[in-house]
Amino acid sequence: MPNLLARRSYLRSLFLPPKPSIDVFLIHTQSELRNTNLCSSNSRRFSISNSFVYVPFYLGSKMLPHTPKSSEFVSNHYCSAHLHHQHCQFWSLSGKAPILGHGCGVSSIIIYFQAPNSLENVKISSEYNRNRVISNGVMLFCSHAAVEPSTSDGLTVERIIGNQWTILDESASDWKSHASAIAQSVHLIKKRLQWKKLMVRLEQLSAELNKPNIWDDPVHAGKISREHGSLMGKVKEVKAFEQDLCEHIDMIKLAREEGDAELESETMKALLRMRRDSKEKELDALLSGDHDSCSCFIEVQAGAGGTESMDWAAMVMQMYKAWAQRHGYGVTVVDEMPGEIAGIKRATIKLDGEYAFGYAKAEAGVHRLVRISPFDSGKRRHTSFAAVAVIPILEDVSSRIQISESDLRIERFRAGGAGGQHVNTTESAVRITHIPTGITATCQNERSQHQNKASAMAVLQSRVDQLEMARQAQMNAQHTQSLTEISWGNQIRTYVLHPYQMVKDLRTNYEVSDPDSVLEGDLDGFILCFLSAALDKDEDAP
Amino acid sequence: MKTTCFIRVPSFCTPISPIIRKHLQKSFNKTGHYNQNHISTLNSAQTSISTSPSSPAPSTSHKPQTPVFLRPLIYSSTFPDLQSFTSWAKTLVSSVGSTFVQLDNGSDSTLLLRELRWLLEDSIDDPSLIPHLGICQNGGITSNTGSSSTEVVRLRVSLGQMYQLWKQRIQERRPFQYIVGCEHWRDLVLSVEEGVLIPRPETEKIVDLVGNVVGGNEMLREGLWADLGTGSGALAIGIARILGKNGRVIATDLSPTAISVAKFNVERYGLQDIIEIKQGSWFSPLVHVEGELDGLVCNPPYIPSEDIGSLQAEVAKHEPRLALDGGVEGMDNLLHLCERTAAMLKPGGFFAFETNGEKQCRLLANHMENEMTGSFRDVNIVSDFADIPRFLTGFCD
Ligand SMILES: C[S@@+](CC[C@H](N)C(=O)[O-])C[C@H]1O[C@@H](n2cnc3c(N)ncnc32)[C@H](O)[C@@H]1O
Repeated sequence: MPNLLARRSYLRSLFLPPKPSIDVFLIHTQSELRNTNLCSSNSRRFSISNSFVYVPFYLGSKMLPHTPKSSEFVSNHYCSAHLHHQHCQFWSLSGKAPILGHGCGVSSIIIYFQAPNSLENVKISSEYNRNRVISNGVMLFCSHAAVEPSTSDGLTVERIIGNQWTILDESASDWKSHASAIAQSVHLIKKRLQWKKLMVRLEQLSAELNKPNIWDDPVHAGKISREHGSLMGKVKEVKAFEQDLCEHIDMIKLAREEGDAELESETMKALLRMRRDSKEKELDALLSGDHDSCSCFIEVQAGAGGTESMDWAAMVMQMYKAWAQRHGYGVTVVDEMPGEIAGIKRATIKLDGEYAFGYAKAEAGVHRLVRISPFDSGKRRHTSFAAVAVIPILEDVSSRIQISESDLRIERFRAGGAGGQHVNTTESAVRITHIPTGITATCQNERSQHQNKASAMAVLQSRVDQLEMARQAQMNAQHTQSLTEISWGNQIRTYVLHPYQMVKDLRTNYEVSDPDSVLEGDLDGFILCFLSAALDKDEDAP
Repeated sequence: MKTTCFIRVPSFCTPISPIIRKHLQKSFNKTGHYNQNHISTLNSAQTSISTSPSSPAPSTSHKPQTPVFLRPLIYSSTFPDLQSFTSWAKTLVSSVGSTFVQLDNGSDSTLLLRELRWLLEDSIDDPSLIPHLGICQNGGITSNTGSSSTEVVRLRVSLGQMYQLWKQRIQERRPFQYIVGCEHWRDLVLSVEEGVLIPRPETEKIVDLVGNVVGGNEMLREGLWADLGTGSGALAIGIARILGKNGRVIATDLSPTAISVAKFNVERYGLQDIIEIKQGSWFSPLVHVEGELDGLVCNPPYIPSEDIGSLQAEVAKHEPRLALDGGVEGMDNLLHLCERTAAMLKPGGFFAFETNGEKQCRLLANHMENEMTGSFRDVNIVSDFADIPRFLTGFCD
């Protein structure tokens, strides 16, 4: 028989703002109750110390006055005092229980009972009244399927999204806008976690764990229980977040009903904090690919079309330099082949910093420009293309391909002549060819040949790694393609400077009407939009 | 007048060959650091028998110059003034075009522009300004944004000096490395100045070769090494940084300028406890360690005398002849080194010499095989980046 434990926490001390929250624990034995970490899900804001008293309610079926038939319990029948992790005593708590009135502020109420197997998705209401501490609607989850957290009037994250409340600026004190923004983030985080699949898996694992003979094979059981624990942790975190949201909504409604302005503004602040918090979590979720946290190389190559394309390639490269600088990434030009008149034929820059690859990978593909070419004396409209490749620099040395010296051909530029003491040149460019794959890398921007060789080797290493990654994953995701593989038909974005002004992403249809700001590095809108769209795809994938 | 400066050449080492003496005189006259009196000091030193090689090296009055990038930021200019310097410098560059290339395989305008950027990098406090100076022809859409015109830019050399330096670079073809007073070599930045050879990228490989042999050989890794004709100290420093904690290097040179510059570089990398610098001709400062060396590297002057006049102007007109001229065939020093190496090294000790190319490598290898049979093993010709057979390596048997 699974046991259920719900804890409702209140804080109404002199020092802390009112903050109700609910944690739900699944426990199997009494001793587990003692060992369960009863810290609030809001422990990042406060932690419950020994000075707070937990008041568990015991609702064990034996002690219940009646066998639960309806899904409604009234919980204030039995209770026991439980001092932090020490053992429990049970006694009845009815009406205005004296224990709630004690001095240091009641921190939490814990409801604990052995639930009959038949119980699922039970909702328990409990009610306490002590001057200003008012709350009702304790949610319970049973062991089989977690109930979706909802407000007392049945609002869930999904419904909030369905409501399509307008998301206003953070500064607007509108709880619906905050709630909507938070719900969006939660939605995205769930997508990233592949929520549906995850829940199915969790169900399987729970079923497995509930088998009586599971521990006959401790290794297997350990594995299952670890996986269960880790998935459960993720689910709990998201659920707790949803729960917090629902409670805040309950709270704010309540505050309005009661005309408690202080409580309302406190809750509004809490909602705003949650909104920022969820935005951060959302970004983390967007950038949770294998190599997302890596630094990277960005390579740009001009398409056909001579000087006009080369100029466009230089503009694209400049756009990335500016974007990288905004993000505080270190930018180094590794290799640059200038055009004869203007622009670049191709160039490679290195971006150093956290998540450089995670963001920049959204930019891989062909970028198309439409404008009146400054290089055309006839002032005609031209369309030009620039291809962009983004290559992660793997941090984990062990996951890199071992390149053996004997597979390399290293060439110096302008190598003609006797060399050595005969020549004093500052030309120290180096080109390295990986003979088995034909991959080459060039560097001429360092001041010593040794450093140029090291830089070129780093580029070569990453290109070879990338090739291997693409081979292993057998995926044709663009961001694993090298420049040579990117097909010129594969356009991802169009920049129109004439006759009208527009930049439009062809993958997401995200568009802006101010090309200048984009070319000056304001790319985040495009990148984030693409990354979340990519999540949708992952989610839909079987 | 630097009257304390003299060159002492201990007598019981190899006498200075007439060629070297000639070069010494030339290079001294040229750099103007030494007058005729010093040359006679040199001549008399050659005949003196009393000087002991193990006594402390004579102090030289040469004070090494500080490379631009290490100088204090005591000058300033404005952004527009720097912009006009840059555009003036670029005009000078474009007037060169490919003339230097055609003349003597010198630098083309792309390279000179890169050097200009490096000069700015070394001179300006805040290098992030450089892209806004309009130095790059390929700036794309943003070229002149960033800095307001009144902003003061702090400099390590005055703007006047910058004009002068760049003029020297283009009109006199003074090597870029002498202009900024440093050369980036391997992962090092070495101070260089007139009178000291600018270390070449080919030579970087000797450190790799040493790295390969010390990798699996503790005796060599923790051993005593020598870099003869150390110049700026490049090889000695490169090697000292890959040896084990007990490894030591003795670096020698005949040129007092080289000695003082090498000292400067060694101290800048904090290696003065590992590298000992000694002045003298080839093995003479090493007689006290005869037969005790675990490794010996040398990039001796190896250019045949008659070729020197036709070298690239930066080399022929500005670098010290003492560092380049290897006698009629260019082999004088290499052969001399070869003769003594077997005696200097421990059995199992490693040597690496740089040469002028395939011909010298072969001659030397043959010489070792035929004239010094049994002294060396695993003698090997190793090519440089450009696939020119460049180095001779081997072990003492
Ligand atoms: C080609 S340079 C090499 C400098 C340095 N090792 C490098 O690789 O950059 C040759 C060096 O040998 C020195 N040298 C010439 N004759 C010498 C001699 N007789 N004894 C010792 N050093 C000598 C020169 O002063 C010069 O520094």
